[in-house]
Amino acid sequence: MALLAQTLRRSFLETRSILPPAFLLPFRANITTVSHGQSTGTVTEPLIQSGQQVPKDIQQQAAASPDSTKPVIFSRPASQIQKDATPSPLTPSIRHLLPLLHTQPSHYLTIHIHGHPYLITRGDSVRLPFLMPKVKPGDVLRLNRATHIGSRDYTLKAPEAIKGTRDAVKQILYLDERLFVCRAMVVGIESEPMRVLEKTKRRQRHVKHVYSKHKFTVLKISEVEIRSLEEYEALLEEK
Amino acid sequence: MSYFRITLMRSGIGMPLKVQGVLKALGLRKRMTTVYYPVTPDVAGQIMRIKELVDVKEVDRPLTKQQIRSSRRPDPGYYIERRGAEALNKYEDV
Repeated sequence: MALLAQTLRRSFLETRSILPPAFLLPFRANITTVSHGQSTGTVTEPLIQSGQQVPKDIQQQAAASPDSTKPVIFSRPASQIQKDATPSPLTPSIRHLLPLLHTQPSHYLTIHIHGHPYLITRGDSVRLPFLMPKVKPGDVLRLNRATHIGSRDYTLKAPEAIKGTRDAVKQILYLDERLFVCRAMVVGIESEPMRVLEKTKRRQRHVKHVYSKHKFTVLKISEVEIRSLEEYEALLEEK
Repeated sequence: MSYFRITLMRSGIGMPLKVQGVLKALGLRKRMTTVYYPVTPDVAGQIMRIKELVDVKEVDRPLTKQQIRSSRRPDPGYYIERRGAEALNKYEDV
């Protein structure tokens, strides 16, 4: 029994010494500096560069620790790729990382319609939870408010929303609308099955039925395009 | 000219009738309603009667109900770029 316990403990210690700490393990292998989308050669790279969940000070500690045998290149946490509300929205991190985001094959966006987020990519159809006024099937909408632009490996995030107080209302900070082009086509209007609500009063045999049937607009995301750094710079200079 | 911005934070239920009357006079019907009144001694006296229930701040200009609502409304996030009917008409002309 004691022998078994010893073996167990040794094996446990060994696994601990071999594996990096738990927060470095790649349970989401999406933030890496290597693109392993289509190329097969880079798949064998160690995918311990999940930068998104690791705070920066821990990263530095891990990088400075002497027992790390192989050089590990940490990608920057995606939360640092931010656009803030300064007059020049082209921060160094955008300048550095937007080309990398742009070269990736497909992108997703978190668009906001009336303040509600929808995670979309090209070809998605979105059934909105309301009937959009003054649009008809066939109309092309330009969606211009987004908080995330992402690809397989990179995410460009807008800053956190500012919580409302007694004096100021809540403010959602969006990405610059010149960074991307997102179009959606109104495909049609969907309706739900008729709802029947039975209204009763006490001590009365009469039952009133209230009918309702809601309609919802359906959009199809026809275009999701991320502007390259050169195009974005040109647009910034235009203004 | 400055204004009091008065917001009812706690309900007047269970308060003496005089306090409830002051709330009614100020137009504070339910919690979180906001009203604006010019800074005058009478309004200050009314606020003194209900000071435990309200949040008061002095502001420069009053906001109408529509202005408050529109400031809270989020951006629609879309605009109509092209009408489907226009495209169809163009197609029919050709």
